[in-house]
Amino acid sequence: MEFTIEVGRYNPEGTYADSAKPGQPYPAPWDRSPARRYQTYTVDLPEHAVVLDALIAIREYQDQTVAVRCACRSAICGSCAMWINGHAHLACKSKLAEFTKDGKTRVESPPSMPIIRDLVCDMKPFWDKHLAVRPWLENKQPIPPPNEEYRVANASMEELIQEVSCISCGACLMDCESFAVNQDFLGPQALAQAYRYAADPRDAKTEERLGEYSQSGGIWDCTHCYECVTQCPKGVAPLEQILKLRRMAVDAGFTHNPGTRHADAFAESVRESGRLNELTLMPKSIGFFNIIEQLKTLPSAFNLVRAGKLPPLIHKKIPGVNRIKAIFERVGGRFK
Amino acid sequence: MKVAFYPGCVSKGACPELYVSATLIAKNLGLELEELTQAPCTGAGVLSEQNPDLADALNGLTLAMAEAEGADLMTICSTCQGVLSSHNFHLTREKERLDRANATIADQGFRYTGTTKVKHLLWMLFEDIGIDRVASAIKRKLTGLKIAPFYGCYILRPVESLGLKERPERKGYLERLIALLGAEPVEYRGSTKCCGFPMATFNREKALAMGGNHIIEAKEKGADLLVTPCPLCHLNLDAQQPDAARVLKKEIDVPIFHLPQLLGLAFGYEPEQLRLNHHVVPTKGALEKVELKV
Amino acid sequence: MTYDHDVLVLGAGLAGMRAALEAARQGADAAIVTKVHPIRSHSSAAQGGINAAISETDSWESHAFDTVKGSDYLADQDAVEVMCQEAPGDIIEFEHMGVIFYRGPDGRLGTRAFGGASQARTYFVGDITGQALLVTLYDQILKAGVKVYEEWFATSLYVENGACRGLVALEMITGELHLLRSKAVVVASGGLGRLYEPSTNALICTGDGYSLAYRAGAPLMDMEMVQYHPTTLAGSGFLMTEAARGEGAYLLNSEGERFMKNYAPNKMELAARDVTSRAEATEIKEGRGINGNVLLDLRHLGPDVILKKLPQIHEMALDYLGIDMIKEPVPVRPGMHYQMGGIKTDVEGATAMPGLYAAGEVACVSVHGGNRLGANSLLDTIVFGRRSGKAAAAFAKANSAPGGGEELLRSEQARLQELLARPYTGDTPAGLRLELATMMDDKVGLYRTDAGLHEALDKLQGFKKRYEKIAVGDKGRVFNQALTFALELGFLLDCGDAIIRSAIERKESRGAHTHVEHPERNDEAWLKHTVLTCVDGEQAEISFVPVTITRWKPEVRTY
Repeated sequence: MEFTIEVGRYNPEGTYADSAKPGQPYPAPWDRSPARRYQTYTVDLPEHAVVLDALIAIREYQDQTVAVRCACRSAICGSCAMWINGHAHLACKSKLAEFTKDGKTRVESPPSMPIIRDLVCDMKPFWDKHLAVRPWLENKQPIPPPNEEYRVANASMEELIQEVSCISCGACLMDCESFAVNQDFLGPQALAQAYRYAADPRDAKTEERLGEYSQSGGIWDCTHCYECVTQCPKGVAPLEQILKLRRMAVDAGFTHNPGTRHADAFAESVRESGRLNELTLMPKSIGFFNIIEQLKTLPSAFNLVRAGKLPPLIHKKIPGVNRIKAIFERVGGRFK
Repeated sequence: MKVAFYPGCVSKGACPELYVSATLIAKNLGLELEELTQAPCTGAGVLSEQNPDLADALNGLTLAMAEAEGADLMTICSTCQGVLSSHNFHLTREKERLDRANATIADQGFRYTGTTKVKHLLWMLFEDIGIDRVASAIKRKLTGLKIAPFYGCYILRPVESLGLKERPERKGYLERLIALLGAEPVEYRGSTKCCGFPMATFNREKALAMGGNHIIEAKEKGADLLVTPCPLCHLNLDAQQPDAARVLKKEIDVPIFHLPQLLGLAFGYEPEQLRLNHHVVPTKGALEKVELKV
Repeated sequence: MTYDHDVLVLGAGLAGMRAALEAARQGADAAIVTKVHPIRSHSSAAQGGINAAISETDSWESHAFDTVKGSDYLADQDAVEVMCQEAPGDIIEFEHMGVIFYRGPDGRLGTRAFGGASQARTYFVGDITGQALLVTLYDQILKAGVKVYEEWFATSLYVENGACRGLVALEMITGELHLLRSKAVVVASGGLGRLYEPSTNALICTGDGYSLAYRAGAPLMDMEMVQYHPTTLAGSGFLMTEAARGEGAYLLNSEGERFMKNYAPNKMELAARDVTSRAEATEIKEGRGINGNVLLDLRHLGPDVILKKLPQIHEMALDYLGIDMIKEPVPVRPGMHYQMGGIKTDVEGATAMPGLYAAGEVACVSVHGGNRLGANSLLDTIVFGRRSGKAAAAFAKANSAPGGGEELLRSEQARLQELLARPYTGDTPAGLRLELATMMDDKVGLYRTDAGLHEALDKLQGFKKRYEKIAVGDKGRVFNQALTFALELGFLLDCGDAIIRSAIERKESRGAHTHVEHPERNDEAWLKHTVLTCVDGEQAEISFVPVTITRWKPEVRTY
């Protein structure tokens, strides 16, 4: 069966891609990555063939200059993550028949990562973020003797299989919305591994970890958009791990950050009135002491007033709000 | 056709234009809106994240209220849709969770047995009301307008709880609707991406940059306006647009329409009836292209 | 540029990283050179588990005997004893490093059954044991701060005065050739699966280390012992872990019968791999196969077991064949999987060349002899990775730093430039490799004949001639994969040559080597290893070394 592939080509011949134009804050990823040309190839493969089969056929028999990382061909090594039709996937797991849109499939290096050549991106940001969360066991003392293992419940080990299934392919980071505007965000993979160690019963530094990950660039920089969950080929669901870390961090007392204040303000609003009070949500999240940040929100508040969109100053409660309060009383936990 | 109408918090707060336009067009679509006035906020994912049991109970209550009406639950907000679908997905599959939620809301005299279907107005147009009915209600084609769809994360992800594996066509409804109304849908990468709202209060600049970049991309592809089925996205893209422009140091000036407003224009309503004169980013320029004044 | 270290490790899989970690712990300045990022190493494809005699009802002697019997008595028993004695300690060490092993109800490590084992002693993590070990070890390397030359492709070992003093490597991102000098080198570059088609191996398993060491003058041993895995997915050749059979899966022929009862009535599907592979091949040859495959049936295990203990292979069958093993049996066939032979080392990982060490699949100690038991390879990598790292560090401490090497760098430069400058001949490295690999599977696979082997050797010489002229289709500097493929093809040709020559020598059938004209095992004449040494860079010199027997006299091997 014939398939048409459009491959994003880029060959710097010894130089790295340019970074964002100086002085331009928050450029979109595709403004940051260098222009590339798309070269079209046709291949004849069985109907269940995957994108990687096409790329290998191209570089083995049609054009030896197409560079692509690949090794195991079976979604274990994580080498072949790339943008296929605009979203990050493993090429070895993407069926050509499913991805062909308007008669072709487009593959390219993801624009949010620096590019080395053709389909080979520079994974350094990814590896650096992994290193940044100190992803190794800080052994709980005392370490058992050399002939004895830690005794832990199998459930606590099985809980971590989801995170250990990560093959570091990078698809989650490649499509991470928050990383696209903020290169300092630790990102889904690093934070999923952070959870893997924070939740390991044999790790001694859980509390320190939670404190670190609650800082800028950490768990509260995630925009909760589920891209990573959708794109991960191994079901790691990084967002779910970030949310677990958020819960753990709040339970451990790391609550002096806008993220926690936001959750508290939200909960308070729903508890007292049954609905969200948009008027007070922003100021409460920012924190009343944070005068400068509060002042920055004044222009948009003014715009709302001008457009006649300011919510009523006296926030209405829903009928039957006592029901809601009772629910909070019963299962509200910290939000009671 | 009767629906258990769940307007969500924002359409009764900072986006009253959404509530007004939704209730107006309901008539043209033959929808009898039975509003769930006593249903609480879904928590927008924030409560689900911090206290899953609490969110299960609150949303279980809403789902039970819809069940009592004997009708599908209709949302007009991507975020409400996402959160309610997610909780419904788990409550109908995990007996333990359902039992726990029911134990909490039993005190209030409610019990959820798991039969409620949660559907956004956007889905209902295609799946329940039917495209023919929608087409027959059109009195004014929006020819000449280039419209960029902006879905909002929570009506597209996570895939399982939104039934997108069974009905992948849901991922393309906005484009089809735009074409049906006579306008030209704009294809751009940002249409399925995040507006930044979930972190708008604690990572303001980055959230603004996120949303702003998507609008600019649509603008560069020729869009006259964006249409979104989520009022939280609307707040970030419209109300915060001037601030986004400041952060990105670029001009934006692209109006953002709510889905029911777009339908309302096509069904013949005047812009003021749909409160299109109450946006932060003026809608005048886009409306002029279809010879409407505001 | 030139870089100096105490110990260089070539390869960043389990054996390589373990060696580097150990060398670093011993105080050496250790660095890893790897042609792919460590996480991409093929160790992560090892699924089922890792063996050790940890439980109270088990004993290292039992594990050792199973290994020796499994090897068809070709394994060196002193090496097997060392491996089985140290296995428990090494596994516990990995548990202390954080590997999330499966636990029994008492919170201690739990086991599953595996092929050729007299009792369950395989420790595991779902069906991703190799991956779990690899990522944990990588995290330890990060913690220890070991330097990794990532995506640096080794083109030649640096030998000075008969000792190994480093290597020359191509930095793929820049296209620059570098000289890395050290007092000791540990070769841990993995297997050579790409020499055969089909194979379970990744595209990067191209026998680099075997060829580099061989050409430098270190002997290769038992190269004819090439293991075929009984259950590789029909078509693609992807590995369907032995753990499936360990959890109770059946092998069925076209008549729906569990045919292993005719070949290994006691162990059935959990007989040693060579026995099982040959059984399948016979069934297929005698007309009881289905399109050249047999069936792996897991339906009776139930969705709980499959989804919890074997999720990865469940997904693979679904992805690549569209088959849900919960509902249907999966077509599988024998595929080339592992090389028991390799660079000859002692139990410390030392080769005959001073300063050169080897560990992991590329090495032949020999612990696997004529056939490797499942879940012993992961063990081999961590035990001998540690031992060779330690020995290399000790050697480095006792020896002075090397100098020189510029001449080698220059000659490598010239060699690569010549390769790049060649005009197109009509041959592509990919095409030539496919011819070579198909030929190897056909004539040097499960069943070998005299005529077939000699024909193979002839054909190989023909391929070598074509290789000398082969052109590289990409002349660029940055990330030139066409160039590295061409170099890898050279390595594969060397390996093929070694395998065929060794196979011609062994006139008996033992373990994975089945010689049709000599179908019986002949302990009197052949209880020895075939050793191949490269003389003057071209000639292959054959010699033999007796198998070390400590306590188990060779017996008839039945399962």
